[in-house]
Amino acid sequence: MIIRLLSAALAAGFIAAIVVTGLELTLTSPLILAAERYERAEPSHQAAKTLPIVLAHSGHDHSDADKAGPDRAAPEWQPGAGLPRMAFTALATLVGGVGYALLLGAVMLACGREPTARTCLAFAIAGFASVALAPGLGLPPELPGSEAAPLAARQAWWVMTAAATGMGLYLIAIRRSFIAILGGLILMIIPHMVGAPQAPAGTSELPAALAAQFASRSLAIGFVLWVMIGLGFGWAWHALARDSARGAARA
Amino acid sequence: MTTSTLAPAALGTRSAERPVAVALAAFLGLGLLFMAGFSPAIALHNAAHDFRHTQNFPCH
Repeated sequence: MIIRLLSAALAAGFIAAIVVTGLELTLTSPLILAAERYERAEPSHQAAKTLPIVLAHSGHDHSDADKAGPDRAAPEWQPGAGLPRMAFTALATLVGGVGYALLLGAVMLACGREPTARTCLAFAIAGFASVALAPGLGLPPELPGSEAAPLAARQAWWVMTAAATGMGLYLIAIRRSFIAILGGLILMIIPHMVGAPQAPAGTSELPAALAAQFASRSLAIGFVLWVMIGLGFGWAWHALARDSARGAARA
Repeated sequence: MTTSTLAPAALGTRSAERPVAVALAAFLGLGLLFMAGFSPAIALHNAAHDFRHTQNFPCH
């Protein structure tokens, strides 16, 4: 079962990554590149212009990057513009997609569910709600250059919100007792009562229309990612069973 | 809940394998996600930059 789970997750992540990388490169990467022009235009980042390549982040509230500074002799490594950057986006999508697919498989098996296409899709939509929709309520998908609270605080809130929403959905959809449903609802609401770390007051140069378009595209792509992972996992799980049955019959 | 519960027979006789499979997949999955979405290493951050923004991981 270990091999089957890992193989199905690999296949699902790969299938999802192919589709989602295409969407990322056509829908969101152009917006990110456009936003980086505003990020660079900020006065505090003037020095970055002297670099031969454009830093993905020129030290915007990034404590490490601030220390490094754009005038440091060796700038931090980053993929070159154009094709290398696209390739790394694709690679990151593959790594993230396989990671999500592994978690999806682990959760389904831990809940004792047979990964049929239907179950996979249901769990995948719960995954989308947990890691994209719920954290997105407090921390909307952001373009580079927008104002934001410190990274560590946002990451902590993101992880807690995703975990609480996932656990809440589990209590509501699988446990289903009155107490569990009540507890699940409370768990899902608490992160939003606590509130996401707020961005410091200040105006960003970024056009609001660009940011809004990015947020909606980002959520749509997140949804496609999860649906593809769910469908891919369901398909691969059963395809692998057929293969091993055929192998056993031949032996 | 009962309709789609795993029948032990459907998963072969080695059902003791399941907790191991779950733990391994969860560990690997979290590791990969940390690498792609959360790692503070600048090189990893820059490599995964566009993916992180698009998938709404907190970034810079």
